[in-house]
Amino acid sequence: MTKFKQDEMTEKERFEALLLRKPIDRVPFFPYDFAFAPVMLGYSKFIGYTDADKGFDAIMRTHEMFDGCPYAFHPGGAFPARVFGGEVKIPTSEYAMAVALERPAVETEEAAWKLQLPDIRTRGAIPLMMRFSELQYKYGYPISFTSGSILTRLGYIIGVEKMCRWMLRKPELVHRLCQLVVDFLVSVAEYWVDTFKHPELMIPLTGAPTDSNQIISSKQFAEFCLPYQKEVYQKIRDMGIRHIFTHICGEQNLNLPYWAQIPMGDPGIVSFGHEVDLDTASKYFPNDVIMGNIEPAVIQTGKPEAVYELSRICIEKGKKHPSGFILSSGCDMPPHSPPYNVWMMRKAIDDFGWYI
Amino acid sequence: MTEERAQNLIKQLHDAVVKMDEEASAQLSKTILAEGIDANRAITEGLTAAMSKVGELYTNQEYWVPELLLCSDALYAALDILKPKVKVEEAEVKGQIVLGVVEGDMHDIGKNLVKVMLDAAGWTVHDLGRDVQLERFVEEQQRTNADIVALSALMTTSMLAMPKVIQMMKARDPNVAVMVGGAPLTREIASSYGADGYAKTAVDAVAEAVKLLKPREIK
Repeated sequence: MTKFKQDEMTEKERFEALLLRKPIDRVPFFPYDFAFAPVMLGYSKFIGYTDADKGFDAIMRTHEMFDGCPYAFHPGGAFPARVFGGEVKIPTSEYAMAVALERPAVETEEAAWKLQLPDIRTRGAIPLMMRFSELQYKYGYPISFTSGSILTRLGYIIGVEKMCRWMLRKPELVHRLCQLVVDFLVSVAEYWVDTFKHPELMIPLTGAPTDSNQIISSKQFAEFCLPYQKEVYQKIRDMGIRHIFTHICGEQNLNLPYWAQIPMGDPGIVSFGHEVDLDTASKYFPNDVIMGNIEPAVIQTGKPEAVYELSRICIEKGKKHPSGFILSSGCDMPPHSPPYNVWMMRKAIDDFGWYI
Repeated sequence: MTEERAQNLIKQLHDAVVKMDEEASAQLSKTILAEGIDANRAITEGLTAAMSKVGELYTNQEYWVPELLLCSDALYAALDILKPKVKVEEAEVKGQIVLGVVEGDMHDIGKNLVKVMLDAAGWTVHDLGRDVQLERFVEEQQRTNADIVALSALMTTSMLAMPKVIQMMKARDPNVAVMVGGAPLTREIASSYGADGYAKTAVDAVAEAVKLLKPREIK
Protein backbone atom coordinates (compact mmCIF):
# COMPACT_ATOMS: atom_id res chain seq x y z
CA MET A 1 0.00 0.00 0.00
CA THR A 2 1.31 3.44 -0.93
CA LYS A 3 2.15 5.66 2.01
CA PHE A 4 2.63 9.34 1.36
CA LYS A 5 5.36 11.32 3.04
CA GLN A 6 4.26 13.21 6.12
CA ASP A 7 2.95 16.70 5.26
CA GLU A 8 4.47 19.50 7.28
CA MET A 9 1.44 21.75 6.87
CA THR A 10 -2.30 21.21 6.92
CA GLU A 11 -4.23 21.86 3.72
CA LYS A 12 -5.49 25.11 5.20
CA GLU A 13 -2.05 26.26 6.38
CA ARG A 14 -0.57 25.46 2.99
CA PHE A 15 -3.26 27.32 1.04
CA GLU A 16 -3.07 30.36 3.31
CA ALA A 17 0.73 30.44 3.13
CA LEU A 18 0.58 30.21 -0.65
CA LEU A 19 -1.69 33.25 -0.79
CA LEU A 20 0.57 35.12 1.64
CA ARG A 21 3.54 34.34 -0.63
CA LYS A 22 5.18 32.33 2.15
CA PRO A 23 7.09 29.05 1.69
CA ILE A 24 5.05 25.84 1.60
CA ASP A 25 6.00 22.18 2.00
CA ARG A 26 4.57 20.78 -1.23
CA VAL A 27 2.42 21.57 -4.25
CA PRO A 28 -1.25 21.84 -3.23
CA PHE A 29 -3.94 19.87 -5.04
CA PHE A 30 -7.29 21.27 -6.14
CA PRO A 31 -9.74 18.58 -7.32
CA TYR A 32 -11.98 21.10 -9.18
CA ASP A 33 -14.87 19.00 -8.06
CA PHE A 34 -18.26 20.72 -8.07
CA ALA A 35 -19.71 17.93 -10.24
CA PHE A 36 -17.16 15.21 -9.39
CA ALA A 37 -17.56 15.42 -5.59
CA PRO A 38 -21.28 14.56 -5.48
CA VAL A 39 -20.57 11.38 -7.45
CA MET A 40 -17.96 10.42 -4.85
CA LEU A 41 -20.66 10.67 -2.19
CA GLY A 42 -23.30 8.79 -4.15
CA TYR A 43 -25.37 11.87 -4.99
CA SER A 44 -26.50 13.02 -8.39
CA LYS A 45 -23.69 14.99 -9.99
CA PHE A 46 -26.15 17.90 -10.26
CA ILE A 47 -26.98 18.06 -6.55
CA GLY A 48 -25.12 21.33 -6.10
CA TYR A 49 -27.52 23.06 -8.49
CA THR A 50 -30.49 22.32 -6.24
CA ASP A 51 -29.09 21.62 -2.76
CA ALA A 52 -26.18 23.77 -1.62
CA ASP A 53 -25.79 21.88 1.66
CA LYS A 54 -25.31 18.48 0.03
CA GLY A 55 -23.17 19.96 -2.73
CA PHE A 56 -20.84 21.66 -0.25
CA ASP A 57 -20.73 18.64 2.04
CA ALA A 58 -19.70 16.45 -0.90
CA ILE A 59 -16.89 18.84 -1.80
CA MET A 60 -15.53 18.97 1.77
CA ARG A 61 -15.51 15.19 2.02
CA THR A 62 -13.90 14.79 -1.41
CA HIS A 63 -11.22 17.28 -0.36
CA GLU A 64 -10.66 15.15 2.73
CA MET A 65 -10.27 12.07 0.55
CA PHE A 66 -7.76 13.63 -1.88
CA ASP A 67 -6.11 16.21 0.43
CA GLY A 68 -7.67 18.97 -1.64
CA CYS A 69 -6.88 22.55 -0.77
CA PRO A 70 -9.79 24.18 1.04
CA TYR A 71 -11.31 26.20 -1.73
CA ALA A 72 -14.72 25.53 -3.25
CA PHE A 73 -17.03 27.49 -5.47
CA HIS A 74 -20.51 27.32 -6.78
CA PRO A 75 -20.01 27.92 -10.49
CA GLY A 76 -23.47 29.39 -10.92
CA GLY A 77 -23.53 28.06 -14.45
CA ALA A 78 -25.84 30.14 -16.54
CA PHE A 79 -26.96 32.17 -13.49
CA PRO A 80 -27.08 35.57 -15.22
CA ALA A 81 -29.70 34.23 -17.62
CA ARG A 82 -32.33 33.80 -14.89
CA VAL A 83 -31.32 36.98 -13.10
CA PHE A 84 -32.11 38.93 -16.27
CA GLY A 85 -35.28 36.97 -17.10
CA GLY A 86 -34.06 34.13 -19.32
CA GLU A 87 -34.50 30.41 -18.72
CA VAL A 88 -31.94 27.71 -18.04
CA LYS A 89 -32.07 23.98 -18.19
CA ILE A 90 -31.09 22.14 -15.02
CA PRO A 91 -29.41 19.01 -16.34
CA THR A 92 -30.86 15.57 -15.73
CA SER A 93 -29.32 13.41 -18.46
CA GLU A 94 -26.54 11.07 -17.45
CA TYR A 95 -24.41 12.74 -20.13
CA ALA A 96 -24.99 16.33 -19.02
CA MET A 97 -22.70 18.28 -16.76
CA ALA A 98 -23.69 21.91 -16.39
CA VAL A 99 -26.67 24.21 -16.41
CA ALA A 100 -27.31 25.40 -19.94
CA LEU A 101 -29.09 28.32 -21.47
CA GLU A 102 -32.58 27.36 -22.64
CA ARG A 103 -33.95 30.78 -23.58
CA PRO A 104 -31.97 34.02 -23.53
CA ALA A 105 -33.23 37.01 -21.56
CA VAL A 106 -33.52 39.11 -24.69
CA GLU A 107 -34.23 38.14 -28.28
CA THR A 108 -34.28 41.48 -30.10
CA GLU A 109 -32.01 44.43 -30.48
CA GLU A 110 -34.71 46.73 -29.13
CA ALA A 111 -35.09 44.62 -25.97
CA ALA A 112 -31.31 44.55 -25.54
CA TRP A 113 -31.12 48.34 -25.63
CA LYS A 114 -33.81 48.48 -22.94
CA LEU A 115 -32.34 45.77 -20.70
CA GLN A 116 -31.75 47.04 -17.16
CA LEU A 117 -30.02 45.64 -14.10
CA PRO A 118 -32.64 44.04 -11.84
CA ASP A 119 -32.44 43.72 -8.06
CA ILE A 120 -30.26 40.64 -8.02
CA ARG A 121 -30.70 39.44 -4.44
CA THR A 122 -33.62 37.10 -4.84
CA ARG A 123 -33.33 36.14 -8.48
CA GLY A 124 -32.29 32.94 -10.17
CA ALA A 125 -29.59 30.92 -8.44
CA ILE A 126 -28.39 33.83 -6.28
CA PRO A 127 -30.08 32.58 -3.05
CA LEU A 128 -28.63 29.08 -3.63
CA MET A 129 -25.16 30.51 -4.20
CA MET A 130 -25.55 32.65 -1.08
CA ARG A 131 -26.41 29.54 0.94
CA PHE A 132 -23.27 27.88 -0.45
CA SER A 133 -21.24 30.85 0.80
CA GLU A 134 -22.84 30.67 4.25
CA LEU A 135 -21.50 27.12 4.46
CA GLN A 136 -18.07 28.23 3.28
CA TYR A 137 -18.02 30.83 6.05
CA LYS A 138 -19.25 28.37 8.64
CA TYR A 139 -16.63 25.74 7.78
CA GLY A 140 -13.68 28.10 7.36
CA TYR A 141 -13.43 27.97 3.59
CA PRO A 142 -12.77 31.18 1.67
CA ILE A 143 -16.09 32.72 0.63
CA SER A 144 -16.52 32.63 -3.12
CA PHE A 145 -19.06 34.21 -5.37
CA THR A 146 -19.35 33.96 -9.11
CA SER A 147 -18.00 36.86 -11.09
CA GLY A 148 -16.97 37.22 -14.79
CA SER A 149 -15.94 36.78 -17.40
CA ILE A 150 -17.76 39.57 -19.17
CA LEU A 151 -18.35 37.74 -22.44
CA THR A 152 -19.21 34.42 -20.80
CA ARG A 153 -21.84 36.13 -18.66
CA LEU A 154 -23.13 38.17 -21.60
CA GLY A 155 -23.39 34.96 -23.63
CA TYR A 156 -25.74 33.61 -20.97
CA ILE A 157 -27.91 36.71 -21.17
CA ILE A 158 -28.31 37.07 -24.95
CA GLY A 159 -26.94 33.77 -26.31
CA VAL A 160 -23.43 33.25 -27.64
CA GLU A 161 -24.33 33.24 -31.34
CA LYS A 162 -26.22 36.50 -31.05
CA MET A 163 -23.39 38.01 -29.06
CA CYS A 164 -20.92 36.99 -31.78
CA ARG A 165 -23.09 38.46 -34.54
CA TRP A 166 -23.67 41.71 -32.67
CA MET A 167 -19.97 42.08 -31.91
CA LEU A 168 -19.50 42.68 -35.63
CA ARG A 169 -22.86 44.18 -36.60
CA LYS A 170 -23.84 46.16 -33.50
CA PRO A 171 -20.65 46.81 -31.54
CA GLU A 172 -22.13 49.82 -29.78
CA LEU A 173 -24.92 47.62 -28.42
CA VAL A 174 -22.44 44.96 -27.23
CA HIS A 175 -20.42 47.67 -25.47
CA ARG A 176 -23.59 48.83 -23.75
CA LEU A 177 -24.35 45.26 -22.67
CA CYS A 178 -20.79 44.66 -21.47
CA GLN A 179 -21.14 47.70 -19.23
CA LEU A 180 -24.40 46.25 -17.93
CA VAL A 181 -22.59 42.99 -17.13
CA VAL A 182 -19.96 45.04 -15.23
CA ASP A 183 -22.72 46.64 -13.17
CA PHE A 184 -24.27 43.22 -12.58
CA LEU A 185 -21.03 41.59 -11.42
CA VAL A 186 -20.18 44.55 -9.19
CA SER A 187 -23.63 44.39 -7.60
CA VAL A 188 -23.13 40.66 -6.92
CA ALA A 189 -19.79 41.44 -5.25
CA GLU A 190 -21.37 44.23 -3.19
CA TYR A 191 -24.13 41.90 -2.04
CA TRP A 192 -21.59 39.33 -0.83
CA VAL A 193 -19.39 41.92 0.88
CA ASP A 194 -22.45 43.53 2.55
CA THR A 195 -23.62 40.14 3.78
CA PHE A 196 -20.40 38.77 5.21
CA LYS A 197 -18.52 42.00 6.04
CA HIS A 198 -15.21 40.18 5.56
CA PRO A 199 -13.83 40.92 2.09
CA GLU A 200 -10.46 39.61 3.25
CA LEU A 201 -12.02 36.13 3.49
CA MET A 202 -13.34 36.17 -0.07
CA ILE A 203 -12.00 34.62 -3.26
CA PRO A 204 -14.50 35.19 -6.06
CA LEU A 205 -14.48 33.01 -9.15
CA THR A 206 -14.33 33.85 -12.82
CA GLY A 207 -14.70 31.21 -15.51
CA ALA A 208 -14.02 32.33 -19.05
CA PRO A 209 -14.90 29.70 -21.64
CA THR A 210 -16.59 32.02 -24.12
CA ASP A 211 -13.50 34.21 -24.37
CA SER A 212 -11.50 31.35 -25.83
CA ASN A 213 -9.78 31.67 -29.18
CA GLN A 214 -11.83 28.69 -30.31
CA ILE A 215 -14.62 31.31 -30.53
CA ILE A 216 -13.29 34.85 -30.70
CA SER A 217 -10.09 36.55 -31.79
CA SER A 218 -7.69 38.24 -29.41
CA LYS A 219 -8.66 41.53 -31.07
CA GLN A 220 -12.29 40.93 -30.14
CA PHE A 221 -11.20 39.97 -26.64
CA ALA A 222 -9.22 43.21 -26.35
CA GLU A 223 -12.18 45.27 -27.51
CA PHE A 224 -15.10 43.65 -25.73
CA CYS A 225 -13.64 41.96 -22.68
CA LEU A 226 -10.43 43.60 -21.53
CA PRO A 227 -11.63 47.07 -20.50
CA TYR A 228 -14.72 45.72 -18.73
CA GLN A 229 -12.91 42.85 -17.03
CA LYS A 230 -10.33 45.33 -15.75
CA GLU A 231 -13.10 47.52 -14.38
CA VAL A 232 -14.85 44.65 -12.58
CA TYR A 233 -11.62 43.34 -11.06
CA GLN A 234 -10.46 46.78 -9.98
CA LYS A 235 -13.81 47.44 -8.29
CA ILE A 236 -13.71 44.04 -6.58
CA ARG A 237 -10.18 44.75 -5.38
CA ASP A 238 -11.26 48.20 -4.16
CA MET A 239 -13.84 46.49 -1.92
CA GLY A 240 -10.95 44.92 -0.01
CA ILE A 241 -10.97 41.55 -1.76
CA ARG A 242 -7.38 40.50 -2.19
CA HIS A 243 -7.52 37.34 -4.29
CA ILE A 244 -9.58 36.39 -7.33
CA PHE A 245 -9.71 32.93 -8.89
CA THR A 246 -9.72 33.17 -12.69
CA HIS A 247 -10.09 30.14 -14.92
CA ILE A 248 -8.81 31.03 -18.39
CA CYS A 249 -10.68 28.22 -20.08
CA GLY A 250 -9.70 26.45 -23.28
CA GLU A 251 -7.39 27.74 -26.00
CA GLN A 252 -6.50 31.30 -24.98
CA ASN A 253 -2.86 31.63 -25.89
CA LEU A 254 -3.56 34.68 -28.04
CA ASN A 255 -5.49 36.37 -25.23
CA LEU A 256 -2.80 35.94 -22.59
CA PRO A 257 -1.07 39.30 -23.22
CA TYR A 258 -4.43 40.95 -22.50
CA TRP A 259 -5.35 38.84 -19.48
CA ALA A 260 -1.93 39.79 -18.09
CA GLN A 261 -3.02 43.45 -18.07
CA ILE A 262 -5.91 42.72 -15.69
CA PRO A 263 -5.40 43.14 -11.92
CA MET A 264 -5.84 39.47 -11.02
CA GLY A 265 -5.22 39.79 -7.29
CA ASP A 266 -2.39 39.95 -4.79
CA PRO A 267 -1.80 37.24 -5.71
CA GLY A 268 -4.55 36.10 -8.00
CA ILE A 269 -5.09 32.41 -8.64
CA VAL A 270 -4.98 31.90 -12.38
CA SER A 271 -6.09 28.54 -13.72
CA PHE A 272 -5.45 27.31 -17.25
CA GLY A 273 -6.80 24.76 -19.67
CA HIS A 274 -4.40 22.15 -20.98
CA GLU A 275 -4.09 24.19 -24.16
CA VAL A 276 -1.83 26.69 -22.38
CA ASP A 277 1.65 25.50 -21.50
CA LEU A 278 2.49 26.18 -17.86
CA ASP A 279 5.84 27.71 -18.81
CA THR A 280 3.90 30.22 -20.92
CA ALA A 281 1.44 30.79 -18.08
CA SER A 282 4.34 31.45 -15.72
CA LYS A 283 5.80 34.03 -18.07
CA TYR A 284 2.57 36.03 -18.28
CA PHE A 285 1.61 35.81 -14.60
CA PRO A 286 4.86 35.96 -12.62
CA ASN A 287 3.17 37.49 -9.56
CA ASP A 288 0.13 35.21 -9.40
CA VAL A 289 -0.39 31.63 -8.30
CA ILE A 290 -0.84 29.52 -11.42
CA MET A 291 -2.98 26.41 -11.51
CA GLY A 292 -3.56 23.56 -13.86
CA ASN A 293 -3.82 21.83 -16.10
CA ILE A 294 -4.25 18.12 -16.76
CA GLU A 295 -6.47 17.53 -19.78
CA PRO A 296 -9.88 16.56 -18.34
CA ALA A 297 -10.59 14.06 -21.11
CA VAL A 298 -7.41 12.18 -20.18
CA ILE A 299 -8.43 12.07 -16.52
CA GLN A 300 -11.79 10.69 -17.59
CA THR A 301 -10.77 8.23 -20.29
CA GLY A 302 -7.00 7.82 -20.04
CA LYS A 303 -4.94 5.20 -18.31
CA PRO A 304 -3.73 5.96 -14.76
CA GLU A 305 -0.14 6.01 -16.04
CA ALA A 306 -1.06 8.75 -18.54
CA VAL A 307 -2.61 10.88 -15.80
CA TYR A 308 0.41 10.32 -13.58
CA GLU A 309 2.83 11.29 -16.34
CA LEU A 310 0.91 14.45 -17.26
CA SER A 311 0.81 15.32 -13.56
CA ARG A 312 4.58 14.86 -13.29
CA ILE A 313 5.14 17.19 -16.23
CA CYS A 314 2.79 19.82 -14.81
CA ILE A 315 4.33 19.65 -11.35
CA GLU A 316 7.86 19.95 -12.66
CA LYS A 317 6.92 23.01 -14.70
CA GLY A 318 4.66 24.52 -12.03
CA LYS A 319 7.17 24.11 -9.22
CA LYS A 320 9.52 26.52 -11.00
CA HIS A 321 6.90 29.27 -10.92
CA PRO A 322 8.03 31.94 -8.42
CA SER A 323 4.55 32.73 -7.05
CA GLY A 324 3.39 29.18 -6.48
CA PHE A 325 1.48 26.48 -8.25
CA ILE A 326 -1.59 24.33 -7.61
CA LEU A 327 -2.05 21.05 -9.45
CA SER A 328 -5.54 20.55 -10.86
CA SER A 329 -7.41 19.42 -13.91
CA GLY A 330 -7.49 21.87 -16.82
CA CYS A 331 -11.18 22.58 -16.25
CA ASP A 332 -13.95 21.06 -14.12
CA MET A 333 -13.06 17.52 -13.11
CA PRO A 334 -15.25 15.27 -15.27
CA PRO A 335 -17.74 13.71 -12.84
CA HIS A 336 -17.29 10.27 -14.38
CA SER A 337 -13.52 10.27 -13.90
CA PRO A 338 -12.24 7.10 -12.28
CA PRO A 339 -11.32 8.08 -8.71
CA TYR A 340 -8.08 6.16 -9.16
CA ASN A 341 -7.04 8.57 -11.93
CA VAL A 342 -7.68 11.49 -9.59
CA TRP A 343 -5.66 9.77 -6.90
CA MET A 344 -2.79 9.44 -9.40
CA MET A 345 -2.62 13.22 -9.50
CA ARG A 346 -2.29 13.30 -5.73
CA LYS A 347 0.32 10.52 -5.87
CA ALA A 348 2.34 12.49 -8.41
CA ILE A 349 2.43 15.41 -5.98
CA ASP A 350 3.88 13.10 -3.35
CA ASP A 351 6.49 11.82 -5.78
CA PHE A 352 7.48 15.11 -7.45
CA GLY A 353 5.81 18.02 -5.66
CA TRP A 354 7.94 18.63 -2.57
CA TYR A 355 9.68 21.96 -2.01
CA ILE A 356 11.52 20.77 1.06
CA MET B 1 -25.92 37.84 -71.35
CA THR B 2 -22.27 37.15 -71.89
CA GLU B 3 -20.14 34.54 -70.15
CA GLU B 4 -18.03 37.39 -68.82
CA ARG B 5 -21.10 38.94 -67.19
CA ALA B 6 -22.07 35.56 -65.66
CA GLN B 7 -18.59 35.08 -64.25
CA ASN B 8 -18.58 38.60 -62.90
CA LEU B 9 -21.91 38.15 -61.09
CA ILE B 10 -20.84 34.83 -59.61
CA LYS B 11 -17.58 36.39 -58.44
CA GLN B 12 -19.55 39.20 -56.80
CA LEU B 13 -21.75 36.62 -55.09
CA HIS B 14 -18.65 34.80 -53.88
CA ASP B 15 -17.19 38.02 -52.51
CA ALA B 16 -20.45 39.03 -50.83
CA VAL B 17 -20.42 35.82 -48.80
CA VAL B 18 -16.74 36.13 -47.93
CA LYS B 19 -17.29 39.77 -46.91
CA MET B 20 -20.32 38.82 -44.77
CA ASP B 21 -22.67 41.00 -46.84
CA GLU B 22 -26.06 39.32 -46.47
CA GLU B 23 -27.99 41.99 -48.33
CA ALA B 24 -25.67 41.96 -51.33
CA SER B 25 -25.70 38.19 -51.37
CA ALA B 26 -29.51 38.07 -51.57
CA GLN B 27 -29.67 40.83 -54.17
CA LEU B 28 -27.00 39.23 -56.35
CA SER B 29 -28.79 35.89 -56.20
CA LYS B 30 -31.95 37.52 -57.52
CA THR B 31 -29.96 39.24 -60.28
CA ILE B 32 -28.30 35.96 -61.20
CA LEU B 33 -31.65 34.25 -61.64
CA ALA B 34 -33.15 37.23 -63.45
CA GLU B 35 -30.30 37.18 -65.94
CA GLY B 36 -30.78 33.47 -66.61
CA ILE B 37 -27.63 32.14 -64.98
CA ASP B 38 -27.95 28.54 -63.88
CA ALA B 39 -28.69 28.39 -60.12
CA ASN B 40 -26.63 25.25 -59.67
CA ARG B 41 -23.61 26.93 -61.22
CA ALA B 42 -24.04 29.97 -58.96
CA ILE B 43 -24.12 27.70 -55.95
CA THR B 44 -21.09 25.62 -56.82
CA GLU B 45 -18.90 28.33 -58.33
CA GLY B 46 -20.10 31.11 -56.06
CA LEU B 47 -21.27 29.83 -52.71
CA THR B 48 -19.34 26.57 -52.31
CA ALA B 49 -16.15 28.30 -53.37
CA ALA B 50 -16.90 31.19 -51.02
CA MET B 51 -17.34 28.96 -47.99
CA SER B 52 -14.19 27.12 -48.93
CA LYS B 53 -12.39 30.49 -48.84
CA VAL B 54 -14.09 31.31 -45.53
CA GLY B 55 -12.84 28.01 -44.14
CA GLU B 56 -9.34 28.90 -45.26
CA LEU B 57 -9.58 32.29 -43.52
CA TYR B 58 -10.76 30.54 -40.34
CA THR B 59 -7.92 28.03 -40.48
CA ASN B 60 -5.44 30.88 -40.96
CA GLN B 61 -6.90 32.71 -37.94
CA GLU B 62 -8.11 35.65 -39.99
CA TYR B 63 -11.74 34.77 -39.32
CA TRP B 64 -13.26 33.53 -36.07
CA VAL B 65 -16.68 32.27 -35.05
CA PRO B 66 -18.34 35.73 -35.28
CA GLU B 67 -17.15 36.12 -38.87
CA LEU B 68 -18.16 32.53 -39.74
CA LEU B 69 -21.65 33.18 -38.44
CA LEU B 70 -22.07 36.30 -40.56
CA CYS B 71 -20.70 34.50 -43.63
CA SER B 72 -23.23 31.74 -42.98
CA ASP B 73 -26.03 34.35 -42.85
CA ALA B 74 -24.93 35.62 -46.26
CA LEU B 75 -24.69 32.05 -47.54
CA TYR B 76 -28.22 31.13 -46.47
CA ALA B 77 -29.63 34.41 -47.81
CA ALA B 78 -28.36 33.30 -51.23
CA LEU B 79 -29.19 29.61 -50.89
CA ASP B 80 -32.80 30.39 -49.95
CA ILE B 81 -33.19 32.13 -53.31
CA LEU B 82 -31.06 29.89 -55.50
CA LYS B 83 -31.82 26.40 -54.17
CA PRO B 84 -35.50 26.24 -55.19
CA LYS B 85 -34.42 27.00 -58.78
CA VAL B 86 -31.91 24.17 -59.05
CA LYS B 87 -33.17 21.57 -61.51
CA VAL B 88 -33.38 18.22 -59.76
CA GLU B 89 -31.34 16.42 -62.41
CA GLU B 90 -28.54 19.01 -62.09
CA ALA B 91 -28.34 19.01 -58.35
CA GLU B 92 -25.04 17.53 -57.34
CA VAL B 93 -25.62 15.96 -53.95
CA LYS B 94 -22.38 14.82 -52.36
CA GLY B 95 -24.09 12.64 -49.81
CA GLN B 96 -26.49 12.62 -46.93
CA ILE B 97 -25.52 13.18 -43.35
CA VAL B 98 -27.39 13.05 -40.06
CA LEU B 99 -26.01 15.66 -37.69
CA GLY B 100 -26.64 16.51 -34.06
CA VAL B 101 -25.30 17.35 -30.61
CA VAL B 102 -25.61 14.32 -28.35
CA GLU B 103 -27.93 14.02 -25.37
CA GLY B 104 -27.06 16.11 -22.36
CA ASP B 105 -25.27 18.80 -24.34
CA MET B 106 -26.83 22.12 -25.32
CA HIS B 107 -23.75 23.62 -26.99
CA ASP B 108 -24.52 23.76 -30.69
CA ILE B 109 -22.36 26.48 -32.24
CA GLY B 110 -19.84 23.96 -33.53
CA LYS B 111 -22.55 21.71 -34.90
CA ASN B 112 -24.22 24.67 -36.60
CA LEU B 113 -20.97 25.63 -38.27
CA VAL B 114 -20.48 22.06 -39.48
CA LYS B 115 -23.96 22.25 -41.02
CA VAL B 116 -23.06 25.49 -42.79
CA MET B 117 -19.92 24.01 -44.31
CA LEU B 118 -21.73 20.84 -45.39
CA ASP B 119 -24.68 22.76 -46.85
CA ALA B 120 -22.28 24.93 -48.79
CA ALA B 121 -20.45 21.87 -50.08
CA GLY B 122 -23.63 20.34 -51.47
CA TRP B 123 -24.47 17.77 -48.82
CA THR B 124 -27.99 16.98 -47.72
CA VAL B 125 -27.93 17.59 -43.98
CA HIS B 126 -30.53 16.19 -41.60
CA ASP B 127 -29.97 18.38 -38.57
CA LEU B 128 -31.41 16.93 -35.37
CA GLY B 129 -30.37 19.92 -33.27
CA ARG B 130 -28.92 19.74 -29.77
CA ASP B 131 -29.46 17.51 -26.72
CA VAL B 132 -30.53 14.70 -29.07
CA GLN B 133 -31.66 11.42 -27.51
CA LEU B 134 -29.28 8.70 -28.64
CA GLU B 135 -31.85 6.51 -30.39
CA ARG B 136 -32.93 9.51 -32.52
CA PHE B 137 -29.65 9.30 -34.43
CA VAL B 138 -30.35 5.68 -35.31
CA GLU B 139 -33.97 6.37 -36.25
CA GLU B 140 -33.05 9.33 -38.44
CA GLN B 141 -30.31 7.43 -40.22
CA GLN B 142 -32.77 4.61 -40.84
CA ARG B 143 -35.43 7.03 -42.09
CA THR B 144 -33.12 8.90 -44.47
CA ASN B 145 -30.66 6.15 -45.32
CA ALA B 146 -27.94 8.73 -44.75
CA ASP B 147 -24.35 7.79 -45.57
CA ILE B 148 -22.84 9.33 -42.46
CA VAL B 149 -23.91 10.17 -38.94
CA ALA B 150 -22.01 13.07 -37.35
CA LEU B 151 -22.02 13.54 -33.59
CA SER B 152 -20.95 16.64 -31.72
CA ALA B 153 -20.16 17.13 -28.01
CA LEU B 154 -18.52 19.95 -26.10
CA MET B 155 -18.31 18.38 -22.66
CA THR B 156 -16.36 15.48 -21.25
CA THR B 157 -19.61 14.04 -19.88
CA SER B 158 -21.57 14.23 -23.13
CA MET B 159 -18.76 12.76 -25.18
CA LEU B 160 -19.39 9.56 -23.22
CA ALA B 161 -22.67 9.21 -25.16
CA MET B 162 -20.75 8.86 -28.41
CA PRO B 163 -19.54 5.24 -28.06
CA LYS B 164 -23.11 4.24 -27.23
CA VAL B 165 -24.52 5.84 -30.34
CA ILE B 166 -21.76 4.31 -32.43
CA GLN B 167 -22.46 0.90 -30.96
CA MET B 168 -26.19 1.25 -31.62
CA MET B 169 -25.57 2.43 -35.16
CA LYS B 170 -23.08 -0.29 -36.03
CA ALA B 171 -25.32 -2.97 -34.55
CA ARG B 172 -28.05 -1.96 -36.96
CA ASP B 173 -25.87 -1.30 -40.01
CA PRO B 174 -22.09 -1.72 -39.85
CA ASN B 175 -21.73 0.15 -43.15
CA VAL B 176 -22.96 3.46 -41.82
CA ALA B 177 -19.99 5.70 -41.17
CA VAL B 178 -19.94 7.71 -37.95
CA MET B 179 -17.79 10.77 -37.44
CA VAL B 180 -17.38 12.77 -34.24
CA GLY B 181 -16.11 16.18 -33.23
CA GLY B 182 -16.04 18.68 -30.39
CA ALA B 183 -13.58 20.35 -28.05
CA PRO B 184 -12.75 17.48 -25.66
CA LEU B 185 -12.24 14.92 -28.44
CA THR B 186 -9.11 13.85 -30.19
CA ARG B 187 -8.59 11.47 -33.07
CA GLU B 188 -7.30 8.93 -30.57
CA ILE B 189 -10.44 9.13 -28.43
CA ALA B 190 -12.63 9.03 -31.55
CA SER B 191 -10.89 5.90 -32.66
CA SER B 192 -11.22 4.28 -29.23
CA TYR B 193 -14.97 4.98 -29.41
CA GLY B 194 -15.18 3.10 -32.71
CA ALA B 195 -15.80 6.20 -34.82
CA ASP B 196 -14.84 6.05 -38.48
CA GLY B 197 -13.91 9.70 -38.66
CA TYR B 198 -12.97 12.72 -36.58
CA ALA B 199 -12.92 16.42 -37.36
CA LYS B 200 -11.10 18.94 -35.20
CA THR B 201 -12.94 21.92 -36.65
CA ALA B 202 -16.06 22.64 -38.70
CA VAL B 203 -13.82 23.32 -41.66
CA ASP B 204 -12.19 19.90 -41.38
CA ALA B 205 -15.58 18.21 -41.18
CA VAL B 206 -16.31 18.47 -44.91
CA ALA B 207 -13.01 16.90 -45.95
CA GLU B 208 -13.50 14.13 -43.40
CA ALA B 209 -17.03 13.45 -44.63
CA VAL B 210 -15.83 13.24 -48.21
CA LYS B 211 -13.14 10.81 -47.13
CA LEU B 212 -15.71 8.62 -45.40
CA LEU B 213 -18.01 8.67 -48.40
CA LYS B 214 -15.40 7.44 -50.86
CA PRO B 215 -15.24 3.77 -49.86
CA ARG B 216 -19.01 3.61 -50.17
CA GLU B 217 -18.87 4.99 -53.71
CA ILE B 218 -16.35 2.34 -54.71
CA LYS B 219 -18.47 -0.50 -53.34
